[in-house]
Amino acid sequence: MSTLAQPALARSSHIDASNRGLSATGILRSEWIKLRSLRSTWWSFSIIVLIQVGIAVLFALTTSPMATEPTTQQVTQAAVSISTLGVLFSQLVIAVLGVLVISGEYSTGQIRSSFMAVPNRLPVLAAKALVFAVATFVVSLVAIVVSYVVTMPILAGNGVDAAPLEPSLWLSFFGAAGYLVFIGLISLGIGAALRSTPGGIAASLGLLLVVPTIFQLIPAEWAGVVASWLPGTAGQSLYYTGSTFEPWQALLVMLGWVAVTLIPAAVLMKRRDA
Amino acid sequence: MIEAQSLTKRYGQRTAVDAATFTVRPGKVTGLLGPNGAGKSTTMRMIVGLDRPTSGSVRVNGHFYAEHSAPLHEVGALLDAKAIHSGRSAYNHLLALGATHGIGAARVREVIDLTGLQAVAGKRVGGFSLGMGQRLGIAAALLGDPQTLILDEPINGLDPEGVLWVRGLLKHLASEGRTILLSSHLMSEMAMTADHIIVFGRGRVIADAPVADIVGQGAVTSVRVSSPQAAELARLLAAPDVQVTSASGSTLDVAGVSAATIGGVAASNGLVLHELTTVTGSLEEAYLRLTADEVEYHTQSVTPEVVR
Repeated sequence: MSTLAQPALARSSHIDASNRGLSATGILRSEWIKLRSLRSTWWSFSIIVLIQVGIAVLFALTTSPMATEPTTQQVTQAAVSISTLGVLFSQLVIAVLGVLVISGEYSTGQIRSSFMAVPNRLPVLAAKALVFAVATFVVSLVAIVVSYVVTMPILAGNGVDAAPLEPSLWLSFFGAAGYLVFIGLISLGIGAALRSTPGGIAASLGLLLVVPTIFQLIPAEWAGVVASWLPGTAGQSLYYTGSTFEPWQALLVMLGWVAVTLIPAAVLMKRRDA
Repeated sequence: MIEAQSLTKRYGQRTAVDAATFTVRPGKVTGLLGPNGAGKSTTMRMIVGLDRPTSGSVRVNGHFYAEHSAPLHEVGALLDAKAIHSGRSAYNHLLALGATHGIGAARVREVIDLTGLQAVAGKRVGGFSLGMGQRLGIAAALLGDPQTLILDEPINGLDPEGVLWVRGLLKHLASEGRTILLSSHLMSEMAMTADHIIVFGRGRVIADAPVADIVGQGAVTSVRVSSPQAAELARLLAAPDVQVTSASGSTLDVAGVSAATIGGVAASNGLVLHELTTVTGSLEEAYLRLTADEVEYHTQSVTPEVVR
């Protein structure tokens, strides 16, 4: 080990006496540093962009014009479908990342450092959720817009009408990016409540992939209703028109799911020994 | 200043800390000493608010830990080396920790220099050795330039140079009037570093005194005598307040008589002495005596005769 400095240096000249103490912006900054300084974040976000664009391009290349002249609405729908097709895959990546963002702190012991710095604990969860939500929204939106920009010329080359980038299209894109944010936050809540990476990933992927299938298999009307209220199904109404819910209803359902997972997680986080 | 009042922590049926009341004063290095499972770590975790006491309370600098508006400036703690995300670099870990309190990169570099981590600061913590992990933990504890430092087994895994450095650092910080609490199950380390010792046994405080008092109180001074005529010497020394135990055929451990008296008795009776040594009690013996009945995990000795 290299030479050690004199103990006298322990007292710092670099701590500004006027700026002592916890602050909301400080905790947000801390969570941003934490998010950007892990490889898993960069891997996950890169995979999302690659997969979204890749799937959109594949789909655009194999799309042929409709037999009849499509309506304007059909043209817009097609553009939304192609640009957001990858969401079905990237939601799995976001779900895993959402769990990891918090369970990684528990599995490594980092959470104790985090809670010693912020003993009220809840600001940690809130800042983590906010930072992760914003980052996910930005990355998802970029992935979707890039998918759109890349696929429109391909579609035009195939003789398919390309939809112009108008407000209704933007709204669907925001909706799809928002959907991924909700899935991420639900997973974050699950991860925070379970405090385990394998358990959290199993639970959140189960909620997205297994639970809907189970309810769809049950031959009762109520089962179909339950299936339509699950986050993976209801959430799609955020960006596909003509689904079960209006977009604003879907927004409320998704906010409900976030509350149902994050609030118990917050209560447990506050109560349990770290 | 750390003040614990009837601090108690139960995990189901098991009582980890049992009505511990003690005060850790500033300007001194206070050692928390006890066998494994005695409740040292649990006590430290309760001090910094990670574990909630079942009953009782503990205050740092007059307030509950969570009440402080700048906890990192009040208390720096190294609880276990693995309180750090293994995928993050040492630099980013400290930067993220400091950011909560508005502590910037300049101070982060300062504690990295102070703990000798310059060469590995950019590397991911997962690849760190135990010693480097401890250094990083100490760096994190010092980050906020805190008034109170709590260190759980800080020298674990450190090389000899690091041990000396930690010892010097703690003494220096105490001399600045800070409150230093460190735990160890190494009595020898405590004897060298601590000024005051709180001994834990099965969750209870079984001693709370300056190091010198603990050594004096718990240890018995005895004299080791080696003589070919040991049996006869033992007979001559026999008295109500004298305790003679035979370590081996020709060696005696005598308590209650000074070496000078024994030498005199031997000379006046014409006995040959091969050894005559005064054995002063060590902190280690005092500690073993204190915790003899308090050890949670008793080991079976492989060779019972060897154990004194």
